[in-house]
Amino acid sequence: MSATSSSVATPVGAGLRPIRLRLTLTVLGYGALALVVCLLAPLVGSTSISVSRALDRSIPFADNVDAQIFFLARLPRVLAGATVGAALATSGVVLQALLRNPLATPFTLGVSSGAALGAVVAIAGGMTVGLGPLSPVPFASLAGAFLVSAIIYALGTRPGRPMSTDVLLLAGVTLNAFLSALILLVQYFADFAETYRMVRWLMGDLDAGGFLPIAAVLPLLVVAFAMFATLPSALNLLSVGADTASTRGVSVPRTQRVAFVATALATSAAVTLAGPIGFVGIVVPHLVRLMTGVDHRIVLPASALFGAAFLVACDLVARTVLAPVELPVGIVTAVIGGPFFLWLLVRKS
Amino acid sequence: MVLQVRHVSFGYDATHGFALRDVSLAVERGSLTGLLGPNGCGKTTLLKLMAGVLRAQQGSITLAAAGSGPAGRAVGRALADIPRRELARHIAVVPQETHPAFDYRVIEMVLMGRHPHLGPFALEGPGDLAIAHDALAATGTGHLAARSYMSLSGGEKQRVVIASALAQQPDILLLDEPTASLDLAYQLEVAALLARLNRERGVTVVVATHDLNLAASICRRLVLLRAGRVLAQGDTDAVLTGDTIRDLYDVDADVRFHDRSGHLTVVPIGRIR
Amino acid sequence: MTGGLQASANQRPATRIVSLVPALTEMLFAIGAGPQVVAVSAYDDFPPETKTLPRVGALLDPDVERILALRPDLVLTYGSQDTLESQLGGAGIRAFSYRHGGLETLFTTLRDLGEVTGRTMQATRTTDDIRRQLDAVRARVRGRPRPRVLLVFGREPQSLRQLYVSGGAGFLHEMLEIAGGTNVFADIRRESVQPSSEALLTRAPDVVIEIHGTRMITGTDAARERAVWSALASLPAVRNGRIYFLNGDYLGVPGPRVGLTTDAFARAVHPEAFR
Repeated sequence: MSATSSSVATPVGAGLRPIRLRLTLTVLGYGALALVVCLLAPLVGSTSISVSRALDRSIPFADNVDAQIFFLARLPRVLAGATVGAALATSGVVLQALLRNPLATPFTLGVSSGAALGAVVAIAGGMTVGLGPLSPVPFASLAGAFLVSAIIYALGTRPGRPMSTDVLLLAGVTLNAFLSALILLVQYFADFAETYRMVRWLMGDLDAGGFLPIAAVLPLLVVAFAMFATLPSALNLLSVGADTASTRGVSVPRTQRVAFVATALATSAAVTLAGPIGFVGIVVPHLVRLMTGVDHRIVLPASALFGAAFLVACDLVARTVLAPVELPVGIVTAVIGGPFFLWLLVRKS
Repeated sequence: MVLQVRHVSFGYDATHGFALRDVSLAVERGSLTGLLGPNGCGKTTLLKLMAGVLRAQQGSITLAAAGSGPAGRAVGRALADIPRRELARHIAVVPQETHPAFDYRVIEMVLMGRHPHLGPFALEGPGDLAIAHDALAATGTGHLAARSYMSLSGGEKQRVVIASALAQQPDILLLDEPTASLDLAYQLEVAALLARLNRERGVTVVVATHDLNLAASICRRLVLLRAGRVLAQGDTDAVLTGDTIRDLYDVDADVRFHDRSGHLTVVPIGRIR
Repeated sequence: MTGGLQASANQRPATRIVSLVPALTEMLFAIGAGPQVVAVSAYDDFPPETKTLPRVGALLDPDVERILALRPDLVLTYGSQDTLESQLGGAGIRAFSYRHGGLETLFTTLRDLGEVTGRTMQATRTTDDIRRQLDAVRARVRGRPRPRVLLVFGREPQSLRQLYVSGGAGFLHEMLEIAGGTNVFADIRRESVQPSSEALLTRAPDVVIEIHGTRMITGTDAARERAVWSALASLPAVRNGRIYFLNGDYLGVPGPRVGLTTDAFARAVHPEAFR
């Protein structure tokens, strides 16, 4: 009985087309969605511009305000939204598999609290030291994110043996609580203006200030996604059971460590670029799973692409719904994500 | 010989002492062996060692592929020396319980068993799909392929997990308490399935169980473990006696051949103090 | 508008004043009521006399015990400190809460402080002084074309992120208008606006003024911070090199030195008027 005849003749295969086909369709479909959203987003904003004028090369750039807005303000923002959205969504998928917990988010293992602590300390201390294209506050948040990730990695890793996911989860939860207290402490001693800026940072902001900050975190993202690409099949096996995965040829310790490091890199980069933007890392994976099933070989690329589209779309709403005032994008993702999450819970029970 | 365990000792960590001490046994090709013993005797640990999940601290476990040495004699390679993927093509494990973190479909669960045979991108092809359907058919679960695994009954789940292990096309199938959480009908079903796989497909089977009657019904060889040591091993008829059961379980039991079922049965009488 | 005197039945001038609001402290000293001040907030440092006074916390953490231990008869609070005010009321202590607003509010506050400290004449004199300073600035810039000005009072170091600029309301806005500049965000009737890069490009200010009241930016730091604006090189202010950093602890304080601030703004907006 050949596979093709079985997928057509019996009802068995009817619900499940061959993986290569599904993967191709997924990448094409979600890729097209992401592309369309990213192409449309720079056309819309709090100011109305003429695209034809923006792309008109005959007008000198210095006089072409439409072009300035399009290229200097909107394009970097859409690019930042796409990369941060993809990074957070993919990290969410991978962490949910690593921790065997569908409620895990990219921030469960302390990355965003570490980044937040770095940022508030930099704001309160008036830090002026940056790192290359990274200005002081992003630099400090990157350092904070790395530090906390390293601590949790050290706590959860045992040489030659699988990571203890319980320890990882507990360490993450504990560090999040501890760091939140520290952040409040720093805020308490800061003056009013600084405190307000800290609160603002914590809301997340895709207006990163040009292409340079994106370029600064790009190496991290490239490495992270290269690592992500090696994981999907292993994550499937891992999420069925660690021992079972091991007996099917998966090196469980290595898979877990790659998953952890890749997630830490991607999330650190995302938070450094745009502050902690919540809900993307949990809404997108679940939405995607509702649409494509739970096979990580499909869910991972789909989440990356859908995450990019999702965040760029949320930012579009954030930029336009109360124009000329621009909402922080984290508010839009929370307003969409919160009720969605409750609906998911109600549906499950 | 297919799988040889020589003087293996293993302990999880310093505080708990040795889980297994100086265990030696041989699993021959095409055999159906039972590992028997009370809870905590080391059955699961031994299975994990035999699967390469754990590494023995003392002794060695070797696997010999058929005719791999000079003059067709089997040459054993230490499990630790065999790359994990390659080992997975020879040995498959059916754990006691399988709880996937996500809602996979049955066919997806079974296809995961093809992982050791797939290339770097791990995308299965039509051949793999055929093997998966074949494995489902062998366990009588073909009609469940499109169903959600979590929605199945206990017996169906267990059979699906066995199918996914079969999809690995292993030489040896290791099962840890395959009937422990099943209703009586399913217990018989799984037992019959294992016997059939062994008989018709030549799959070497090792079953860890505390169900004496299951072991008696299908296993031709038994290894009795107590407190991490081998108490006795050999043909079932020889090993499964009232004396060994008393040594193993501190229970007085009657072991006799049962005409209608065609195998030995164990009837526990009372506890020995 | 809330604020002003609570429990104004008592007409005696206050002689033991605790001030939690630096701007109000400045006003007290300006109208000669300095000797009547017994304690100030954690952030007070002007005039120099305040440095030796005891400190009792500020907006988020007023030290109620210390305040009560000083036996004040008037406490100057922030409008949002309801709990503190009710505690003081329970102890029979007058509270005067700071009102947020434009320049007229400033003058009204000065007058009220004059009344409550028994220094009405000095208060009037101070008010007149300030009005004279403002009129002087108005005169200097009269008739000149009004450039479009972006007034920045906060941003992330070495980055154009988290910009805080003055909107079309509040004393910063009013001082800017007196100084002969048109606020690019005059149409947004809020004291504080956080514009995106897009908004900045759309509004295209001719002049950018950054005020640094708490941390002074000088020398190489200033050059580095100024260079940050070249990310938006097409802004007229950047193209024409009209980015001004103003340093001074009086900047941004809605107190008696607003005349100084307005003068500083005018020098940035209309340098040619001061040659």
